[in-house]
Amino acid sequence: MAKFYVNIVHRPEMVPEYIQKEAEQGRVEDLTRASVLQESLDIFRTQQQIAHDNGLRTTIQMTYASLFNEEAVAIAKEHHLLYGDEIGLTFLGIQCKEFREKFHSRELAIWLFSMEDKRRIVDELFSKFEQVFGFLPTSTGSYYMDAELVNYIKERYPMVKAAVATCWEEGPKAYWNANNSWYTLLDGGPWNPWIPSKRNIHCIASDEDDDIGIVAIPHLSRDLMAVFDGPGSYYGTHPQNILRGMVYEGDQLPYFKNIVDQYRAMHKYNRGYAYNMMYVGPGWMSKGGRWEADYALLLKSYQDGMAYYGELKRRGELEDLTMSEFADVYRQGRPYTRPECTLWKDILYGSRRQMFWYADPWMRFCLDMNQGGALVDLRPYAARLVRPCGVGTKANQDASYPFLVQSLYRAGFFTHYAGEGAVKSCKIGYHGEQVDLCTCRTQASFSEEGDARVVTLDPVTIAFETVTIRVQSVFRLREGSGEIEITRRILESSDPAAEFSINEYLTGCYGTTEYPEDLTGVRLSLIDGGQTDTIDYAYRSRELERAAVDRVQAVLPQVDTLVEMRPDGPAAGYLREGFSFSPMFTLGIQKTIQSKGELRTWLKVAKAS
Amino acid sequence: MAQGRKGKLNYRCPRCLMREIDMDMLYDEDRDEYYCLRCSFTGDENEVKRLNQQFREKYRDRLTRITDF
Repeated sequence: MAKFYVNIVHRPEMVPEYIQKEAEQGRVEDLTRASVLQESLDIFRTQQQIAHDNGLRTTIQMTYASLFNEEAVAIAKEHHLLYGDEIGLTFLGIQCKEFREKFHSRELAIWLFSMEDKRRIVDELFSKFEQVFGFLPTSTGSYYMDAELVNYIKERYPMVKAAVATCWEEGPKAYWNANNSWYTLLDGGPWNPWIPSKRNIHCIASDEDDDIGIVAIPHLSRDLMAVFDGPGSYYGTHPQNILRGMVYEGDQLPYFKNIVDQYRAMHKYNRGYAYNMMYVGPGWMSKGGRWEADYALLLKSYQDGMAYYGELKRRGELEDLTMSEFADVYRQGRPYTRPECTLWKDILYGSRRQMFWYADPWMRFCLDMNQGGALVDLRPYAARLVRPCGVGTKANQDASYPFLVQSLYRAGFFTHYAGEGAVKSCKIGYHGEQVDLCTCRTQASFSEEGDARVVTLDPVTIAFETVTIRVQSVFRLREGSGEIEITRRILESSDPAAEFSINEYLTGCYGTTEYPEDLTGVRLSLIDGGQTDTIDYAYRSRELERAAVDRVQAVLPQVDTLVEMRPDGPAAGYLREGFSFSPMFTLGIQKTIQSKGELRTWLKVAKAS
Repeated sequence: MAQGRKGKLNYRCPRCLMREIDMDMLYDEDRDEYYCLRCSFTGDENEVKRLNQQFREKYRDRLTRITDF
């Protein structure tokens, strides 16, 4: 039977970012201003009441500031006793008078402190929490929790079992959206809960040794299509985010329920399990209104959202758990190799577009059915990159997990005038004509065959000048294999004797943003038995080809990653080095086939070292 | 008075919003208009609302309840 678990999280953030910002209009900053503290507490109380009125339990994540507020502490204790709410500890909302006095910093993001400061802050917050409540919390969180931070927390406070650990695809897009002033550069993680690797929080743990010891929860459940190409803070299970995105008319925002229902439907792809998370900070329900919405609409949208969860619970279609309870449930009988998959459909723009998202301990990737199933995002989790962030690290603010393919940051199929963009697709040729499947919009369906998840695309018709063919793509993901099997099959041809070239290719690079990184040092190889031809990347537009290959590969030392393609039988392989105006590499496998013929290849990513 | 202030609601600049940049505007009481510090947009409340409505139109399903998944 399908299970839909929901975590509702509230935090008494005594000095919420947005309220404080508004209060600052024409005034000097004052973290102790009574009106701000009282308003924030009122909002927290209101949010709690709305949840409880709908029969829902919450996780109260105490902020550092709230641990000094008797009223906030009293509410938390009372609601824990009366409703069974969990009392956890968040690293959001650390800024307050006491924090400034103790740490002498205006930094608000826990992941951006130096490691030394992170340790001091963790110890101070946990010890203050224990002093106030008489026990230690088992759940924690922030917008982002880097692996080094969580490893330290687990070492000192092993009872912690759950954490809000990332905001999905809150990276450069969130930064642009906030007028380049919001430093949550956190792209590349899973969209649903996961057990993180000890080495990098974005990566899904491969086994017990790699298990960081918590269940990570994304901050909100995001729209997996809209947020890939738009600001995260417009489209998710956060009613005021939806108001910010203006996805409403009057006081109606059915989009909220549409997101919830699409997440509920994810049980079809994930062995009966589905999940949602709602976490609205008090700053989003300011009495002064926010994002063109007055307080009445901010409040109503929250009430309506919570009422829908309440209705689902009453119908027996939702289980409201606290974060720590969810962590226990999540781990029950779940093998580390089990992937998270979703065939997401557009619920916003009125297109029929679908995107397939997949994440396992080896990789995260996305297929875009609008581009014939082209792979438009690829993150090599298998590399398990140790990439600390914060002051004193090389990455500093950039906490994203690197991609090998990101078609929006690095062009994809369509480029202006010259060069190639990052994408994995297939080109089919006939007598001097060539068609890329990126131009063949289609739909997909999902199925399971034993331990394999299968994405089958509807066949597409390609009309060459003198011959027409029907081509189908199938992606097969065998659990635990760390590979994507891709089959391109010509189902029909108007001329059965005609021969077509079929060219499976990956154009890639690496990075975390839209700006190019240096590819010097990347090694491209064609491998056939004992024979290997290589190109050491130097922006010289070189190309190599062999009539028969076992595999083609690229090793990117900068991200300690090997990416490889191999065919299932005799096939040619080629490599293409880019140039400075097109800083990409291309790996390709091709062969000639007739109607009913196919090309089957496997794509693999691995740790290079 | 030259000093711009926050208006009755924090209207974002509708032109910047078209580029998905959230940029709060300031309000000039003397001219009864909002203005953007980033892109030179100026307009009264009605103009801001008109452009905001235009922004919404890209969401063709904004009022559709979708239940078939």
